[in-house]
Amino acid sequence: MLLLRLFVEFFKIGIVTFGGGQAMLPLLQHSFVTELGWITQERFLYFVSVAEVTPGPVALNMATFIGYELDGVIGSAFATLGVVMPSFLVILAIAHFEKKFKENILYKRFMLGVKPVIVALLINAIYLIVGRGFVGFIPYLMALGSLIVFIFYRKSPLLILLVAGVIGVFVLR
Amino acid sequence: MKKLITLTYDFFVIGLFTIGGGYAMIPLMRQTFVETRKYLTEEEFLEMLAISQITPGPIAINMATFIGYREGGLIGSALATLGVVLPSFIVILVISIFFANLTAIPQVKKFLLGILTGVVGEIIYITFDIFKKAKKTIFYLLVLTLSLVELFILKINPIYVILIGGALGIIFGKFFEGENASS
Repeated sequence: MLLLRLFVEFFKIGIVTFGGGQAMLPLLQHSFVTELGWITQERFLYFVSVAEVTPGPVALNMATFIGYELDGVIGSAFATLGVVMPSFLVILAIAHFEKKFKENILYKRFMLGVKPVIVALLINAIYLIVGRGFVGFIPYLMALGSLIVFIFYRKSPLLILLVAGVIGVFVLR
Repeated sequence: MKKLITLTYDFFVIGLFTIGGGYAMIPLMRQTFVETRKYLTEEEFLEMLAISQITPGPIAINMATFIGYREGGLIGSALATLGVVLPSFIVILVISIFFANLTAIPQVKKFLLGILTGVVGEIIYITFDIFKKAKKTIFYLLVLTLSLVELFILKINPIYVILIGGALGIIFGKFFEGENASS
């Protein structure tokens, strides 16, 4: 019942993915690398770098990647369906009932508590990539360099990442 | 029928050109649905965007479901969502099937590692940006610290860390709402 597991794991992650794809990297890492051991750390980081420079939200790309790795085309379909389904259902409910959703006091308070967690998850995502993917001091210098570029020129993240890749071919070991 | 095809096509194009995070496609969606197709007014678009940002899931998916439902009901939302998902699905499948061992080539491995260093720079930038714009109440800083302890020291499943944050918000949020009303 691998397909069902894939669907459920991605569904669970889809429900709690607030604030962009990068914040959910620690969730994927925890589920698929640490807890289930379905994906190696090296593979995971490979997926992250490809997912960031291919079309579509990072969350979706990761689902397709991991799903294919585990069970081919059908696996990637189930994983993608799992990660998409929560947002699809939630938005459908909101669009259908047209409730004053944003004014809901409980949900507002819930999000008040989730917002700081997103920052913690992003810090965790940085640590996961740096701690397991960086060897020697050159990657740190490159990360610092790209941070500076992002601060002054953030118009095209894709271009910055691709340039970092090209530089990497020449300077990384 | 024609409208459904247009809807699927529009979202397919948006999915195809959204590289590097959902925020890249906001201007493209505005252009398509407010100006070209005139499905939405500027105000309606911003309202949808606001809801998409505080609901679970990638913004691209949320917006597709939203606009699809408005323009074509349940089928419309399903097709729009399918449209926005397909490009990334196909591209990643092609990479997985035909280039399974990309990392076996040293140059490609270095290229991808180089991208990874850029991703780290990007995430650091995003993290600072979000933190800078947040209203840093005592509650915010405490939940942030607690979450870091949970993630780094206690190594709790990140899903629970999110839910604990949300629960603390529900329990203690009312004391901090006034300070956080604007964001």
